[in-house]
This record gives sequence, C-alpha cells and structure tokens, in this order.
Amino acid sequence: MNDVLTGLLQESVSGIALGCIYALIAFGFTLIYRATEVVNFAQGELMMVGAYVNFFFVTQFSGVLGGVNFWVYLFAFAGSIIFAILFGILLDYIINRPLKDEPVFSVIMATISLAIILRSLTAIIAGPISLVPASPFGDNTFNIGSVVISILDISIIIWTIVLMAIFYFFFNKTRWGIAMKATSTDPEAAQLMGIPIKQVYRFVWIFAALVGVIGGVLLAPRMALLDTNISYLGLKAFPAAILGGFGSIPGAVVGGIILGIIETISMGTLSFHFEWVKEINDIIVWIVLIVVLMIRPNGLFGIAKVKRV
Amino acid sequence: MLKMVGVETFYGKIKALHGVSLGVEKGQLVCILGANGAGKTTILKTICGITEPEYGTIHFNDEQIDHKDPEEIIKMGISHVPENRRIFPELTVNENLLMGGFLIKDKDLFAERFEKVTAHFPVLSKRSSQQAGTLSGGEQQMLAIARALMLEPQLLLLDEPSLGLSPKLVQEIFTIIQDLHQAGVTILLVEQNVNQALKIADYGYVLTSGKIFLSGTYDELYEEEKVREMYLGEGKYVRRARLWRS
Ligand SMILES: Nc1ncnc2c1ncn2[C@@H]1O[C@H](COP(=O)(O)OP(=O)(O)OP(=O)(O)O)[C@@H](O)[C@H]1O
Ligand SMILES: [Mg+2]
Repeated sequence: MNDVLTGLLQESVSGIALGCIYALIAFGFTLIYRATEVVNFAQGELMMVGAYVNFFFVTQFSGVLGGVNFWVYLFAFAGSIIFAILFGILLDYIINRPLKDEPVFSVIMATISLAIILRSLTAIIAGPISLVPASPFGDNTFNIGSVVISILDISIIIWTIVLMAIFYFFFNKTRWGIAMKATSTDPEAAQLMGIPIKQVYRFVWIFAALVGVIGGVLLAPRMALLDTNISYLGLKAFPAAILGGFGSIPGAVVGGIILGIIETISMGTLSFHFEWVKEINDIIVWIVLIVVLMIRPNGLFGIAKVKRV
Repeated sequence: MLKMVGVETFYGKIKALHGVSLGVEKGQLVCILGANGAGKTTILKTICGITEPEYGTIHFNDEQIDHKDPEEIIKMGISHVPENRRIFPELTVNENLLMGGFLIKDKDLFAERFEKVTAHFPVLSKRSSQQAGTLSGGEQQMLAIARALMLEPQLLLLDEPSLGLSPKLVQEIFTIIQDLHQAGVTILLVEQNVNQALKIADYGYVLTSGKIFLSGTYDELYEEEKVREMYLGEGKYVRRARLWRS
C-alpha cells in the first residue's frame, strides 16, 4: 500500500510538471481567445518552435562557451525569450493585422495554416531526424522520504508559478494590464478611453508567443527525443481550457494542471494495477472532461458568458 | 470648436449619414434629436474616430480629425460617454476610472484628477472596489460620465445618458450635465428626453434618416409644428396615440 502511495505522490509531482506545460499552452490560447475571439490552433506549434529554437541556441552557445554548462542554458533561455517577443510581433503583423476586419473564422483558418507551415518549416530547417535535448539538471533527483522527485520537474513547476505570478501582477496591478482586460471585454469602449488597441493586440500575441516558447523550452528536456510531433501536445490546450471553463484564465491554468496529473497517474499507477486503465489511457482525459461538463456545463471556473454581446 | 461638413458614414454598403453638417461653439451645449436609427450615435462615433467617414470633413479646434485614430482624437480633448454606458463590468469602479485616465502618464496629475472626479461623484467613492457590473443603472451612468471626465475634455460627447433611468435619476443626470455646462465644458448631447434636453441646450439639431432636417434654438424649434408633433408631446400623433389608449 505504501508503494502505491509513494507512486501516486511521485506521479503527482511529475503530473503537475506536465500539467504546467499544458497550463502555459492553454493560457496563451485563452489570452488570444479572450481578446480577439480567435481560437489559435497554432499554440502547440509555438511551443514546438520554442523547443527547437532553444535547442539551437544551446548548441550554438555551447560551441562558443566550450561545452554545455549553466551559462549556456541561461543565455539560450534569454535568447529564446527575445526570439519569442520578435516572433509575437511578427505574428501580429501577419495574422492579426491583415485580418482585423475579416470574420473571426478567417483568422482561425489562418492559425490552422500557420500551424501547418510552422511544422513543415521546422522539419525542413531542423532536418528529418529527431534531436536529443539536454536537460540543465541532467537526470538529477532528490528524495522526500521515499518519494523521488526530479529536479527538472520542480524547476518546471517553479518557472510556471513565477510566470503566472508575473502575469497575475501585470493583469491586475498595472495600467497596461488592466487596459488589456478592458480591451478584451469591450474594444470599442477601450478605444474611447484612448487605449491604443492595436498595441494591445500586439501585446496579446507577444504574450501568447512567450508562454508558448517558454512552454517548449521547459518541455523539451522532459522528452527523450525532440521532433515536430510535440506540437500535438498543444491540442491538450482544448480539453484543459474547456475543463477549467472556456475563456477563463485561472480555469485554463487549473484545467491544464488537472489534466497533467490525471494523465500521468492513469499511465502510471492506475495502468499498473488495473489492466483496463491501460486500454483507455488515450481517452481518459476526454472521459474526465465529459463527466466534469455533465456536472458543471461551464467547466470548473465557468463563466456563463465570456463576452458582452 | 467642432465643425462637421458634409459627412457621410457607411456601415458596409449601408449609408448611415447622408451629408451631415453641424457645428459646436466653445462653451455651448448642443443637442442632437432624432428618432431611433436616425444616425445620432453614428455622428458621435464618427467624431471620435470609431467609424471613419467616407466623405466630408471634421475639424476640431481648426485641426482636421477625420481619419485620425480614436486615441489621437481623445488625446486632443474629446471624450465620449457611449450609448448604454459601456463601463467595463469586470473591472472595479476605481479600475474603470483608471482606464478613463489611461492617457494621463503623470502620477500626480492622475491623483489630482481622480480626487476631483470622485469628489464630484461621492456615490462612486463609496463603491470604489466593487465590480462595476454590479452597480445600479444610475451609478453605472455616473461612472461612465466620471470616467470620461478623467481627461478633463474640452468637448464632451454624451449619447443618451438618461436612457433606462428612473425619472428621479434622469433629473439627477440632467443636473450633472447642466453643472458641467456651467463649469465651461462644451457638450454635444444626444437625447430622447427631448423636452428636457432642449430646455438646457443652447442649440439643437433634428436628424431624420441620416440628414439634418432642422436646427435652431429651443424657441425656434418650438415654432416648428413638426418638431412639436414628433418630439415635444403636443402633436396630432401623440393625441391620436392618447385617443387610442383611452
Ligand atoms: N454596426 C452597424 N452595422 C450596420 N449598421 C449599423 C451599425 N450601427 C448602426 N447601423 C445602422 O445605422 C443607422 C443609424 O444608427 P445609429 O445607431 O446611429 O442610430 P441612432 O440615431 O443612434 O438610434 P438610437 O436612437 O436607436 O440609438 C441605423 O439604420 C442602424 O441600423
Ligand atoms: Mg443611438
């Protein structure tokens, strides 16, 4: 019994870490949805691009600095963040601005195209082989009692918490953050306040790119191999967002984390002890989703109406 | 101060304004009257750049402002209290005022304006950290006006500020408008409460189907039988309606 408990605890930590990645993707996704009503199907691809770009920087910097060390990871991370900001600005120019007067549906189609293009481009540039990402923490672990915890997982969790705290502060305490919330609920009224909404939308895309890229940077070291398929993890943003309550930012984060925990535990302990769980591993997330929606149709943090009509 | 000449505004292919010309002098309270769908809101939206005119020109203090972005126009000293208040329901009262003063970069100036505005609307300071969506209709209207006053505009555009309020609150709103007028704020007011609006206005324009149909002072407009009939509750339409009811 003790073993089961240890296993569950261990998987919970690892599940939270995975869930943090989902949470970041769902967060970026919700941010764009709230501000523009656009469902961004390329959020997972933003993460994938982040993972690759970071890998590229690690390789480059380790060449310059003579081997992989702490500084390499730090510089690579900084480089990825700068890249993300530029990438967000670019996306605002190519996706958001040209289509600003078009129906939301056209923009959604554009994000689908973007997703496909990013996947192909990445495959072309990086070549067909899978890469082996390195982790700044190696396989290091530490123990709490008999529970073994990976330092990488803990660092993912801490990064996510820090990031969310920064965003929370920004959206609730700063003039620009509140202006972004105001623009999301009523762009026309926001314009009447003199809020430059074009700039607000640019910020939204930059943030979405930032959380996507950071998600990718954090996720890659957890993967044995890095290939373009990790972008499909981005699709988990949907159940995460729906679970938490579509359009709710805390909902997206909590939904993502719950998803990560459920997935990890069902693939681990539950599959080990119950043969049938193994069979339904792939769909367990969706089962949970349907059950939650049956009890709370608007999700956990559901807001019945996201936008004023 | 404000001069619109031959302005035509479209929503897609639908023409909402058919060559509207009007002027507002400094310190005046000018009122726009018109039936539902006449284009009153469109005039105000066109002035502050939410919708762009296809033809015609708009000048504010001798500077051309058609085709400028709303944020530039607001910066020049025009504030707009939109139809249906349009406060930010999820933000608190204070955050709404913060948004009203979004363009004020200087912290001290902001604090000063904030003091002034909340002193003018004591109801709001009592509810400072309440979500604006939970305010009553009257309080929301006060907030919408207070929010627009944060920038101390030279020209204030008010779109049906008394809409949906009880007679007592309508009275209160009109008192506020008159106070602002007396304090020297230039006001362009759209109203359905025609009688009351015309009484406090220096000048009125009557709009029908996107065209200025008549204009004049209260007395001049009162002379016009059509205006009396349609808006001032003395015409045959009203009498017929009364007959119908009784
Ligand atoms: N966003 C829009 N898209 C298409 N047509 C519009 C839009 N807004 C207004 N219109 C049309 O333009 C015309 C003028 O509308 P406007 O809102 O300016 O009228 P109004 O005088 O303010 O009416 P009300 O008294 O009902 O507020 C109407 O025929 C309306 O249907
Ligand atoms: Mg109107």
